[in-house]
Amino acid sequence: MIEVRDLVYEYPAKRALEGISLTVPPQTIVALVGPNGAGKTTLLRCLAALEPPYSGLVTIDGLDTREHPREIHTRLGYLPDFYGLYDELTVRRCLTYAAWSHGIAAAAVDGAITKAAERVGLSDRMESRAGDLSRGLRQRLGIGQAIVHEPKVLLLDEPAAGLDPQARRDLSILLISLRDAGMTLVVSSHILAELEDYCSEMIIIEDGKVVGGRPIKVKDVERPRYLIEIATARADFGDFLKEAGIDVMEVDEHHALITHTRNAAARAKLVRDLVTAGFEVSSFGESSRALEEAYFSQVGKGAA
Amino acid sequence: MMGPEFRRYLWLELTPRRIVFMVAILALVFFAAAVSGPSWTPYSAAETIYYLIVVIWGARNAGLSIVNEIRDRTWDLQRLSSIGAAEMALGKLFGSTIYNWFGGAICLAVMLVYGFAHGTPGSTILDFIYYVIVGLVAQAAALLASLVAIRRRSVHSRLDVFLYQLLGVIAAVAVAYVWEAADPESALLLGRKSTDVIPWWGALVSARPFLLLSLAIFAGWILTGCYREMRRELKMENGPLVWVGFLVFSGLYVAGFDAWLPHEAVMANWNVIALRLALASTTFAALTYAMVLLEPKDRVLYRWYAGQIISGRISRAFGRLQAWLIAYGAAVLITIVLIWWLFAKGFGAFYPAIAVAGLGFLTRDVSIFVFFSATRRGDFAAIVSLFALYVLIPAILEGVGLKNMLPFFYPTPSNPVWLGPAVVWVEASIALGLAASRITLGGKRMISGPSRS
Repeated sequence: MIEVRDLVYEYPAKRALEGISLTVPPQTIVALVGPNGAGKTTLLRCLAALEPPYSGLVTIDGLDTREHPREIHTRLGYLPDFYGLYDELTVRRCLTYAAWSHGIAAAAVDGAITKAAERVGLSDRMESRAGDLSRGLRQRLGIGQAIVHEPKVLLLDEPAAGLDPQARRDLSILLISLRDAGMTLVVSSHILAELEDYCSEMIIIEDGKVVGGRPIKVKDVERPRYLIEIATARADFGDFLKEAGIDVMEVDEHHALITHTRNAAARAKLVRDLVTAGFEVSSFGESSRALEEAYFSQVGKGAA
Repeated sequence: MMGPEFRRYLWLELTPRRIVFMVAILALVFFAAAVSGPSWTPYSAAETIYYLIVVIWGARNAGLSIVNEIRDRTWDLQRLSSIGAAEMALGKLFGSTIYNWFGGAICLAVMLVYGFAHGTPGSTILDFIYYVIVGLVAQAAALLASLVAIRRRSVHSRLDVFLYQLLGVIAAVAVAYVWEAADPESALLLGRKSTDVIPWWGALVSARPFLLLSLAIFAGWILTGCYREMRRELKMENGPLVWVGFLVFSGLYVAGFDAWLPHEAVMANWNVIALRLALASTTFAALTYAMVLLEPKDRVLYRWYAGQIISGRISRAFGRLQAWLIAYGAAVLITIVLIWWLFAKGFGAFYPAIAVAGLGFLTRDVSIFVFFSATRRGDFAAIVSLFALYVLIPAILEGVGLKNMLPFFYPTPSNPVWLGPAVVWVEASIALGLAASRITLGGKRMISGPSRS
């Protein structure tokens, strides 16, 4: 759905994105993470065809952002990190204006705004002024405006920023429902814990480059992440695992973060092999903070 | 016209409370005018209030229409919509000023009724047309100024908005001035001479239709400018042809005014074609200065031009040329033709040398603008530099008795005749080199959030 090849974006004195390449498959939620100033917002704006690339190619649903920006805008919803609403208008009028401005036929406008309001849970607030809504509800209205025309791609820049835990949970549920309805989402965020709830892949951006050169799988039901701990340090810990054909993500003399099949017999065999080889296995369990571990294992190492 | 943007403004601007307020205030004013005596009639009151509401306040609202969207962070939402450039531009122009036009319409109605009641239907209708044009031009000029300005910066102070409004009001004053010149009755009232005929391209054309047509055409160009700037905001490529068309139109229009042909040159038996070429060249140079000041000096774009030209994609680079570069190219082209013409007609080296120096000054000056664009308040620094080069240094040179060096600082004959142009082109080459050094990307990397584009 989204293809980026060798994307370079420059500001007058600096290069903000340097040779970014990535692919976002349809009907997925991809997280864009990285330190402040890494280039996440610039990348999202390039994806939204709001900033033309200096060089390289960005295609959305097969359309080049440089050649067909307006066609892309019809297929896209985008909620910037700092967005505004028409505070004087009611929720109904905000959504109606969004529907009109996305070219929805007059006869279909009422249906579209009703559906969008239901999706974002604002059906009972239709006559409230946007300026009177809480931050969480404003966020929902912003997303409602961005999805009223049923875009194929939805780009959200820090959508969870400033939301309370309940609102964040509601946001996660909403994003999953939008993905299930057929949308492809790219979400930039700092809050890694929430991303794990709904993202399938994570792309780490640092200094304008994709760290590691490729996206990281956030959650793989078939092959989750496991953390192995051994009581006595062994320098050959990593080598042993690799020789055993294990997919090692991170390793030191005491710990290893691996991906492994969920099959219980296979896991038991791995533990048995480790013990047989003299490793004092003190812990073997599914990693509960996989995303955070993956993130911190990559950030700061320098980009690929 | 009744696009989403216009309809949104109807919701916001024409609320029942505001409508009642406007009607009540205007009714009170007209009633006061009707009972106050002969010096202040409902017609004169309507005229004054129209200028206040539609021209002055309307220009402000038009200038604010996009600035407010940026300030309220709703501009991206609009840019990502399916609204077309024309619909958006007209929606902003007429939507943001709909309340002003509502009040203005009441004033116009009073003027029409008063004019017809006093038996002057012909001039009343012409005045009606004038008032609509003057309001439209003021608002469109303010909108165009704000559209050009948002390419340069994301933050707009009250002073900036005032400047957009001021440009609109200046455009309205220009319209009023031209209207006066074409209206014998008004000119008589103001004690000025009116113009019956205008010598243009060697023919005497009737002043009133000529000036009214000129107004209509320039109003059309302003609206075209709004449309094209809106296209750019919506990320649509504009291409250079319309701007080239405007340059051709401006060159032909200005070069046609026989009264503007330099008197001294006429006395020296210059060929009329050479004089018209000089007028056109001056027009293009003036437009180059105006546009290099107004447009953002986009160093990323200049690097991109260089990349395209090096890789042989010249037509692609030409398709995205900034307006000042095209105007500069037109000035260079016409000046070269002028120089060739002067040589061909045997005028010697005197005038061609001044033309060559003029081109050198233009090249040096635009290079100075590009050079300073890398700094904060770059345009201000460039203007100060030009003030020093054109005013301060020549004044010092004159003061210390080095008048023979003046040709190095403004276009004036030198001795020997080609010394001045040679020095000027050395200055231009240095400025060009400095500008080029600023365009290249520095080695230091720093990532930051996007400025508004």
